[in-house]
Amino acid sequence: MKYGKIAALAASIFAAMIMTGCAAHNAGISKGEAFPQMYEEDPRSILVLPAMNESTDAEAKAYYATTIEMPIAQTGYYVFPMEMVSDVLKQEGVYDTELLYSMSADKFYDYFGADVVMYTRIKKWDVSYMVLASSLTVTIESEAYSTKTNEKLWDYDGSVTVDLTSNSGGGGLAGLLVQAIGTAINTAAADYVEYAHVANARLFFALPAGPYHPAHRTDQGVVIRKR
Amino acid sequence: MKLGMMMKALLPLAAVALMTGCATKPQALYNYGTYSESYYAYKQDTSAENLLAMQQAILTAIENANESVSKRVAPGMYANLGYIYFKQGDTKQAVHYFEMEKSLYPESAHFMDRVIEKVRKAEAKGAKS
Repeated sequence: MKYGKIAALAASIFAAMIMTGCAAHNAGISKGEAFPQMYEEDPRSILVLPAMNESTDAEAKAYYATTIEMPIAQTGYYVFPMEMVSDVLKQEGVYDTELLYSMSADKFYDYFGADVVMYTRIKKWDVSYMVLASSLTVTIESEAYSTKTNEKLWDYDGSVTVDLTSNSGGGGLAGLLVQAIGTAINTAAADYVEYAHVANARLFFALPAGPYHPAHRTDQGVVIRKR
Repeated sequence: MKLGMMMKALLPLAAVALMTGCATKPQALYNYGTYSESYYAYKQDTSAENLLAMQQAILTAIENANESVSKRVAPGMYANLGYIYFKQGDTKQAVHYFEMEKSLYPESAHFMDRVIEKVRKAEAKGAKS
């Protein structure tokens, strides 16, 4: 049952990806314009650090960790195993995210051999109940740095709010995406992790395809947002 | 002759379709099976049963790796599996899967070597006491 739900989710994300792919001839910001350094550096691997939790939900950090490996891998990059990474960092005594986030990116090359290190802040992770409706919001901010140059490769703010009673999800592609996913999960119990999946998917389908993806080095022209 | 010409005409079209993503089947690069859900359940409650369920989910995803575009086992899956064996005290299987991760994804070699070294040290310590 759960598997079906995820399959439906994956299918809707891919449908959205295909839609953006087909719209490549329209004027807009392309991947090549949005991420020039990614094409220049051509990184192979991404290390995701344990997230900094600024939301009111104490569990958000742990749950977010369970959603991040897949979208990065599906985009074609090598992603370091989350559970091992966070445990190893704990053992090395740098589990305090404040400390972790103050370290320069090249340190993570020394230890993990990672090309890119990703810092994530969970800003919001909550549900608001109203008389007739309830909605879920997951808001994430992330920044990625090159471990070779310590330069920022990209940053991203993503917020997903889903009205659980109707399927309104806002305008544009993002709205469509949320709508599609909203429909897929509407009947099931509301689950934060589903929304973290959506927020992640939005970020990663915009990124240039990594070395394990068939579109690697050929997707500079794909339009990801309106000009 | 005619067929050859048709092929020539169709090939660029197919190439364009592929590049734009219009022709990609709605199938993922890797098959994760129920890994994410089982990991989530384990995070909610780090019991031995949930660890076992996660191990089973990973084993199944590895078995069904062919049901994906890449036909490969997803990044991190062998490593995550090895780590579960390590938690269960099976260092031999742990190292085996860390080596598998390394050979399938050379990007992990640096990290896996470090982890294998740690396992060896833990083994040596265990043997002495």
